[in-house]
Formats: sequence, C-alpha cells, structure tokens
Amino acid sequence: MASSGGELGSLFDHHVQREVCDTRAKYREGRRPRAVKVYTINLESRYLLIQGVPVVGAMKELVERFALYGAIEQYNALDEYPAEDFTEVYLIKFAKLQSARTAKRRMDEQSFFGGLLHVCYAPEFETVEETRKKLEERKIYIARTTKNKDHYMTKKKLVGEQKDTKDFRQDFHSEMSGFCAAALNASTGNSNPGLPYSCELPLCYFSSKCTCSSREHVDRASNSSKDVGNHDQTVQHCYHSDSLQKIQVNTFKNSVTYCGTQKAITPSEAADRFMPRTTQLQERKRRREDDRKLGTFLETSTSSSNEVMIGPLLPDIPKVDMHDDSLNTTANLIRNKLKKVRSLNYCFKRQFGYRTKWRIICIVIFFHFL
Amino acid sequence: MAQKPKVDPHVGRLGYLQALVTEFQETVSQDAKEQVLANLANFAYDPGNYQYLRQLQVVDLFLDSLSEENETLVEFAIGGLCNLCPDRANKEHILQAGGIPLITNCLSSPNEETVLSAVTTLIYLSSPGPGSHPELTALPVVQCMLRFSLSANRRLRNLAQIFLDDLCSPSQVAEARSRQAHSALGIPLPRTAAPEQC
Repeated sequence: MASSGGELGSLFDHHVQREVCDTRAKYREGRRPRAVKVYTINLESRYLLIQGVPVVGAMKELVERFALYGAIEQYNALDEYPAEDFTEVYLIKFAKLQSARTAKRRMDEQSFFGGLLHVCYAPEFETVEETRKKLEERKIYIARTTKNKDHYMTKKKLVGEQKDTKDFRQDFHSEMSGFCAAALNASTGNSNPGLPYSCELPLCYFSSKCTCSSREHVDRASNSSKDVGNHDQTVQHCYHSDSLQKIQVNTFKNSVTYCGTQKAITPSEAADRFMPRTTQLQERKRRREDDRKLGTFLETSTSSSNEVMIGPLLPDIPKVDMHDDSLNTTANLIRNKLKKVRSLNYCFKRQFGYRTKWRIICIVIFFHFL
Repeated sequence: MAQKPKVDPHVGRLGYLQALVTEFQETVSQDAKEQVLANLANFAYDPGNYQYLRQLQVVDLFLDSLSEENETLVEFAIGGLCNLCPDRANKEHILQAGGIPLITNCLSSPNEETVLSAVTTLIYLSSPGPGSHPELTALPVVQCMLRFSLSANRRLRNLAQIFLDDLCSPSQVAEARSRQAHSALGIPLPRTAAPEQC
C-alpha cells in the first residue's frame, strides 16, 4: 500500500485505479466491467480528484462539465500530484456528496479533449467537521429511508392482510389454529402466539435459521405477497417444517385480532363479504339460467340453449290439431316459418316497424303455398 | 455503491443475494470469495436491501469473516458492516451478536481501509452520550484512538478525533492519556501512516 508521506496532494492507495475483474461468475457480472472494490462512507467524499486531464488549458471546460452534476464550491489544480506526461490533476469540491457521487460515476473513464479521465474520491482533503457531517448525513439518510419503508410496508401489510384474511379464511381456518400451536411450541420467549401466517411463510421458506424482529415482521409480510405464489403449499410446508427455531416477535396486535377473528366468522359470512369478480359473473349467469328455467318459457330446441338470450322468451305458438294430416303439416310449416321470421323480428322492428313485419310474413306464407 | 442485479429488482433481489451467500459458503476459490464478499458489502450500502440481508443472516456472515486470515476478506467484511451498521436494527443485531470485540480487533490491522472502517463502525455503534456501551469506550480502545488522532493519515486522524470528541468523556480521554505515557505496549498503526510525532 504505497503512499508518499501521507501528505495532502500526494498519491494515496485509494486513488489508484484497480484492474477490472474478469473472473466473475456469469450470474453476477454487471453491466460494466468493474474492479473488486467496496465503497464505504469513508471512501466517498465531496472532494473529487480528476486525473488524466490533457494540458490544453481546458480547466474552465472541465469545471463546466462537472458542474452539470451539482454546485461546485471550489476547484484547483494539484501541481505537485504525480501525473502522467502532458496531463494535469484537478481537485473539485462539490457542495453535496450526492453530486460528487453522480459526477464520479458519470465522468470516470470518460473522454475529455482526447484524454481519458480517471475520477476518484479524495476524502483526505476533508476537515474533521466535514467528515463528522458526512457520517451524520449518512445516519440520517438511513434512518429516514428505513422509517419510510417501514411505514409503507406497515400500510401495505395491513391492507394486504385484510384482503388475504378474507380470501383464505375458509381454507386456513383449521390449519391456522394448528399453525398457531406449532408456532407457540417452536418459539422461545415469544409473548404473542398469534403469528400472522403471511409473516411466517417466507421465514421458513427461504432460510432454515431465521430470527425475526419487529422490523422484519413488517418487511417480511411484503415479501410474502411478492415471493410466495401458492399460500396453500407454503402453509403446509411451514406446518410440517422444523425450521421455526428462534422466533422473537414483539407484541403485534393485529395478528391476535386476525387469529381470533378467523375462528369466529363462518364461511358463509366470509363469502358474502368478498367475492372475486369471476365468481360474481358466474353467479349472475347461474341466476339467469335459474330464472329461465323457473319462468313461463317453454323449452326450445337444444341449439337455442347455446344462444345468447337477452330478456325473456316470447311464448311459443300453441299447437292446434286440425284433425287432418295435410292440414297439420301445413300448420306446422307455417309455424316454423313464423319462428324463423320472429328471429328477424328484432331487426325488423327497429328498422321497418310492425306493419312492415306483418306484410313480409304474409308475403312469405303466400309464396310458400304457391 | 451497490451493483444492480440483472434480474427484476423485487422478485429476484432476494434470490440473487441468496445465490451470493450460497456461493460464498460453498466456493473454495479465494478470488470468488473476495468478489462475492465485496458484492455483498456494496449491497449493504443500500438501505433497501437490509431486510433481505438480515433474512439471509449476512450480518453474521460479515462478523464471521472478520476472523479470516485473508486481509482482503477482512477489509470487505468490515466495510460491509460499516455500510449497514447505521441502521438501528442492524446495530442491535451486531451488539447482541457480540460484534464489538471482533471490530475492535480490526483496529490492529495493517490494512488502512480496514482500520478506517472499524473506527467508523465503532462510531456508528455507539449511542449519543458517553457510558452507553462500556466496551466501546474501554481503555485500550480510547488509547488506540488517541494514537490514531496523532497520525499523519488525515482520514484516520479525523475519525479518531470524532470518536474522542463525541463518544468519550473528557475524564476517559484524560485517563487514557495519562496511562499511555507509562505503557510500553500499543496497538500498531496501519502501514500507510507515517511515524507519529509526539
């Protein structure tokens, strides 16, 4: 780890560009080839060191290019920094760390006036106060991000669990009581036996040794809705698995409510409260068919049952026995013709009116007997 | 910064991290171990991954890796801890898992980044006000920080100064200073630092 004296403006190990890693496994190759390096908040800084700037008097253009990513507080050339021939090294201080991050990511390895820039962080230029502020900002950012995530996940979980509970209340009624018992047996120091199943599923599905804190409780619930496809299977899996070793769950009031509520509500009530849309459509179709059967309609041919029926069927023409075969035949023929004409009735009514309809019927019958 | 996985972020993130952990546990190649650990440590920078990392017990993986002989693995592991320890849940987990002695051991590492990450992690692990965690402000640790505060390495100097100012009481610092004058043993500074000037 070479450094020349550790003085400001000298070469440090973290300035040196490391070689790109080319032995990565396929599944973890990134979009760009990268070196094997870990970035921590220590390494990041508002100060950026830019090496490889061609000596063409383009400092103004360089600063303007970097200023695209955020306000720059100060900039200067580092004349004593070891640089390649015909290149210069600059130091740029951004007002915000995020600007520096973006600028570093975008400008590193970029072409500039024929040269290739190498951009790296220069935290050695920070004062104590700047370092303290940087650490503090990182802490605040994490607290804010995880707080927002928790709040969002809690909301999502409550909404999700209400739906889930209604959906699966019937199916899991018996299994849930067994699951609660299993959880009670398996958990150590657990003050709340009523564990929501949606929280526990990924616990045993993904890992054999799981510990659960109150934060995880909320977070994992969101995973259950995304990661677990079939609730049936996974509940069975959890019920039979031995993986509920250490479960430390803080008091979670909703879970008790859900556990208790499940046992009180009967399946029929559950069906009334919520019915998926497909079931509603099927329900309507079933009612329509029932009405059709119970109504004053006579059964028509089998082909008509496949037709789309809108509204009640008109009563069929009553069959009259003429006491003569030929007359009966004629009457049947007329009847059938009228049925056919009736099927066109709807269109004719709209377009031509009743009178026209009857004229056409008469004409058809007349021509039939010719 | 965290490297982006190639798969769909929400559905595949956990699976990808699981694959990394599995590879780390199974591979015999030191290069692969270093690459995977660096990958996990970079993921630990993004708070969005904390739930997955806790679920996969990556925090414990980092703590275990601090005892590795490979200095690079130690550097990456402490870097990962430094990245995720500001989070309250992760912090509690590290403290409950007895992470402080493992981290203070890293203060004697010859690797500069390891020492810097260790000091930063100790800063984040402590609660405001001195005396909240006695292990953090134990005498050897404070003595070590005093030596670091005199280092020519500015980054180390700054961090040590923050530790002493924000986490230690003046009496603790005074005691460490008086004891240090008489002590022949000390925690060596990292290789990159110039000899300290008294």
